[in-house]
Amino acid sequence: MTAPEARILPLGEEAWILTLGDRIDAALHERVVSVAALITRAALPGVREIIPGYTTVTVSFDSARADASELRVGLERLLADTPAGLPAPPSRTLEIPVQYDGPDFEEVAERTGLSRTQIIERHSGRVYRVYLLGFAPGFAYLGELDPSLELPRRDSPRTRVPPGSVAIAGLQTAVYPLATPGGWHLIGTTSLRLFAPAADPPALLRVGDQVRFVPAGL
Amino acid sequence: MGGAMDPESLTIANLLVGNSPGAAAIEWALGPGVLRLDEGTRVAVCGDAAVAVNGEAGRTWHALTVGPRMELTITPGGASRFVYVAVQGGIDTPPTAGSRSTYLPAGMGGLEGRRLRVGDRLPGGGPGGVALVESAPPPVRPREALLRVTVGPQAERFDLTAREALYRESWTVLAASDRMGYRLGGPAIAPRERATLPSEAACPGAIQVPDDGQPIVLMPDGPTVGGYPKLAVVVRADLALLAQCPPGRVVRFREVSPGEAREALRERASRLEDLERRAIGEGGSP
Repeated sequence: MTAPEARILPLGEEAWILTLGDRIDAALHERVVSVAALITRAALPGVREIIPGYTTVTVSFDSARADASELRVGLERLLADTPAGLPAPPSRTLEIPVQYDGPDFEEVAERTGLSRTQIIERHSGRVYRVYLLGFAPGFAYLGELDPSLELPRRDSPRTRVPPGSVAIAGLQTAVYPLATPGGWHLIGTTSLRLFAPAADPPALLRVGDQVRFVPAGL
Repeated sequence: MGGAMDPESLTIANLLVGNSPGAAAIEWALGPGVLRLDEGTRVAVCGDAAVAVNGEAGRTWHALTVGPRMELTITPGGASRFVYVAVQGGIDTPPTAGSRSTYLPAGMGGLEGRRLRVGDRLPGGGPGGVALVESAPPPVRPREALLRVTVGPQAERFDLTAREALYRESWTVLAASDRMGYRLGGPAIAPRERATLPSEAACPGAIQVPDDGQPIVLMPDGPTVGGYPKLAVVVRADLALLAQCPPGRVVRFREVSPGEAREALRERASRLEDLERRAIGEGGSP
């Protein structure tokens, strides 16, 4: 099966956004990660950042160093030559210990109709993929959550979520690495530091990593 | 992301005191205040404000000499939201992740990752360089801001009336606007379908429109990825113009091509490079 054509559109005047699909799924995301790796290796002049999304790869550039149209042609050629991208480095599996004691745990139990044990089993019982990094330093969007745990974001986001909070919203789960505002449901906490500005790299998780949550202190 | 809301004014303030354009300075978004300088140095205040050194009126967009233990009084006028205060040698707080900039959402950088408070002491950098110009003209910022935008990647999710409304209507900068994003008041221009997109990269200047149809323009501290549809993107050369609009100011938009947007950026860069050459010559102080 030939890979579908990517759509390339401008994002502002200093970025190209390549859309590889229209749905969140692991296979498409593998291609997103592989295409991002391909573009990174090509080391095209003037490129500032390569940002994978769920279905997109965005390439930002310095317009003083790169000709926008030439860069676009370069990206089209890369995709045409190697539509599957570069094989991604073997993904790492990381374990995140969790105390399931979050302030929204009761509410999640009520709204989903699940027991405490069921929530813990269903949240910790699967391996998640890191789809995206963004929103705040070190914040990783992990998917997919067990559908029985699916809830929309909170109506009123908190102005401050404590660092290390383990949260769920939609079909995603995440750990808030720093104290930031947040609208997801807090079901637990981890003492694992996901973001340390002085570390190299500062963020623990990378796009494409596999993550398991391990209940602590049970 | 991160950095000054008005990088052009910051650059000019730095160049006037002999710093390189990227030296750390103060982004003043407060009411009136006083800075006391322990040691004499050169200072520049760039923005809409009245300035005095030990009670004697000084000029903005000019290098000022401030003697030891003298007081610099800054009284913002309100026409611009941010005033930049640069000192010779720059401000020497410890860098985080390669920058001295403050990123408030994560409490990182700058001085303890927070806004400055009365009583704070800021370390100055070394002696710094010498500026060869005394003053510089402020960037031209018309009061009736007409901001250039390029078409956003999700523009086709909005029907024609919504897209036309973006360009036809006047938009008011709302009070709930900050370094993460500016909210604009005006007619609702929601996208056709109310579904969240899979998150993808966003950028400062992106005009996101959530389900309520009220546009939000992302600013330097805004999220780097998001799932709201992007109708248009404010060109980089005009983002500072929007950033400097106080709440209540009205803006309008007009569409340009990405090529025209890059040309505007080139023109701005060329102006600032020219000032840099005149102010600190080739290869100024770090």
